[in-house]
Amino acid sequence: MANATSGMAVHDDCKLKFLELKAKRTYRFIVFKIEEKQKQVIVEKLGEPTKSYEDFTASLPADECRYAVYDFDFVTEENCQKSRIFFIAWSPDTSRVRSKMIYASSKDRFKRELDGIQVELQATDPTEIGLDVIRSRAS
Amino acid sequence: MPLLSETYACVPTTERGRGILISGGPKSNSILFTNNRSVLILNLDNPLDVSVYGDHGYQATVARYSPNGEWIASADVSGTVRIWGAYNDHVLKKEFKVLSGRIDDLQWSPDGLRIVACGDGKGKSLVRAFMWDSGTNVGEFDGHSRRVLSCAFKPTRPFRIVTCGEDFLVNFYEGPPFRFKLSRRDHSNFVNCIRFSPDGSKFISVSSDKKGILFDGKTGEKIGELSSEDSHKGSIYAVSWSPDGKQVLTVSADKSAKVWEICDDGNGKLKKTLTCSGSGGVDDMLVGCLWQNDYLVTVSLGGTISIFSASDLDKSPRQISGHMKNVTSLAVLKNVPKTILSSSYDGLIVKWIQGIGYNCKLQRKESSQIKCLAAVEEEIVTSGFDNKIWRVHFQGDQCGDANSIDIGCQPKDLSLALLCPELALITIDSGVVILRGTKVMSTINLGYAVTASAISPDGSEAIIGGQDGKLHVYSITGDTLKEEAVLEKHRGAISVIRYSPDVSMFASGDANREAIVWDRVSREVKLKNMLYHTARINCLAWSPDSSMVATGSLDTCVIIYEVDKPASSRMTIKGAHLGGVYGLAFIDELSLVSSGEDACIRVWRLSPQ
Repeated sequence: MANATSGMAVHDDCKLKFLELKAKRTYRFIVFKIEEKQKQVIVEKLGEPTKSYEDFTASLPADECRYAVYDFDFVTEENCQKSRIFFIAWSPDTSRVRSKMIYASSKDRFKRELDGIQVELQATDPTEIGLDVIRSRAS
Repeated sequence: MPLLSETYACVPTTERGRGILISGGPKSNSILFTNNRSVLILNLDNPLDVSVYGDHGYQATVARYSPNGEWIASADVSGTVRIWGAYNDHVLKKEFKVLSGRIDDLQWSPDGLRIVACGDGKGKSLVRAFMWDSGTNVGEFDGHSRRVLSCAFKPTRPFRIVTCGEDFLVNFYEGPPFRFKLSRRDHSNFVNCIRFSPDGSKFISVSSDKKGILFDGKTGEKIGELSSEDSHKGSIYAVSWSPDGKQVLTVSADKSAKVWEICDDGNGKLKKTLTCSGSGGVDDMLVGCLWQNDYLVTVSLGGTISIFSASDLDKSPRQISGHMKNVTSLAVLKNVPKTILSSSYDGLIVKWIQGIGYNCKLQRKESSQIKCLAAVEEEIVTSGFDNKIWRVHFQGDQCGDANSIDIGCQPKDLSLALLCPELALITIDSGVVILRGTKVMSTINLGYAVTASAISPDGSEAIIGGQDGKLHVYSITGDTLKEEAVLEKHRGAISVIRYSPDVSMFASGDANREAIVWDRVSREVKLKNMLYHTARINCLAWSPDSSMVATGSLDTCVIIYEVDKPASSRMTIKGAHLGGVYGLAFIDELSLVSSGEDACIRVWRLSPQ
């Protein structure tokens, strides 16, 4: 069996979509899934810029792991509009252990492929991706 | 955001055989005392105005205001002294490790620059005096061989310190820097308390040998005694001077407090004996006293604070009491709105009235410990640690004769069918007992470890939660249970289950910090993801209109969810009770009452969303 730490290929689509999010702001969020049979990380869902944070949290399954990238816009205390790109490792307690292991060991290599992530977050239940948590990590 | 609307304070922690020291503010009418790890500032004019400082890591023993009223120094059993601001947020100024054992007494110098602390130290130091802001020592205190129970700083120049202790000695130190001057062995038993008069001319020491001795403030020579006729018949635990220095209040284990007039020649004559009405038991022994402006405050072993008026000694005192230990259950009485019953595990049940505060303690005929409490109209059902269930009717503050039912095993949880209160469901180790009135209807062994239960108000359905997190729903027919469904969603042992008042839903909380609201008829999950606590959920309450659920947890927070909104839009009360929240109940749509390990009960006002 291939070693997950070095064996998980990243589909080209993931990198392309991430660059589009970063440079052209064509997406609000991207959800990635590890396809075990093809041993690849692929894009599962894309969110339009009009989507809200609630749409994003709703698109994460409650008992399966995922990786996600979210472009968070906020206003600072000095009234500046800022945005931060979040990488969220979604690993709910209710998912299978095998799934958690694979996602955890492949995370580092995958993150290195996506250049430009500003904040990383690991969430194990819905309370850890609450809007207040994101806002506090943004600044 | 919920706001604190009232606090029903706890009472000072007392110990049999020892006095406690309470102190008062130099300008205001507030007193300071300690309960477990908290220091409480109580306003004598308005007992509902109470402030709590909970930052000690160990049991706090004594606290004192600085002479200018800005700072409070408090000490604990680990030998640490903390100096913090008296107002607002109680910001910490400094913390010093002063002795290697517990600190029994603490006093500021009259200029507020030095502090003397005394107590128990393993080895050398039993007393230490230091500068308040730097902690540098200002003297050598030899002369005591055993625990030093009390110390005092002369309030006028030239500065002197006196200490007294379990070695029967009263020691006199001159300074600064303080040096031993002389020692007096006039007492024949532990010397419990020593205090200077406000003008510094005399000081008095009181002891377990029932005597009080007066000494000269400058030289330390004995000048007189409290007269031996009409003296106390038990150990004298504490003494306090009146603000004018002419009278002295003493309290004793003979359950009385005495006011003495001190003549110029140094002898004391009895002026008045004050006794408080009580149940007549050991709990009435008086262990602490304070003369604060016009108030004479005495504290009894059972925790009752009696406030007499100094100008009118014949008037009967105002009595305030509360809990001393963890308040484990709360019940709000429906027929008399605004009355709250609280019980702590040592068997004390207290009745409180919203807006007024302490009402009375329920005088129970038997004083067993209480683990669970359920109250309906004028009847209380309690269970303790002795295999018995007690049903008591109460009127005002008197309990009628209790009917006890022996159920054979230790009850773990208790639940009453609210519409027909003779029906009670009690969970024991691996089964349940159904009680009707005072008869055991049936004992059913369920085969799994049971941790929580609830019976519907009409008595037709019961939900039992197990150690494995499964909820079993049973229908009750006569005295048998028929299993209807098993619900699996929790990932920890179920700790509490409650039906909503309109019986359309029920909510359950577990030891894994999660709470879930279920629809009763369809048994589907109605509200989930209530995972915002960080430690086990201890208690749960529904609002009277069934629109809100509140959960209280060991992590000291209370979280209020609205059933129609997602769990993330919740209201959190952080730090509701130091040590954990153990009891929770709604009084009306907008008021929530909670109780916890810090022996306090707090009422919160919710702003409508």
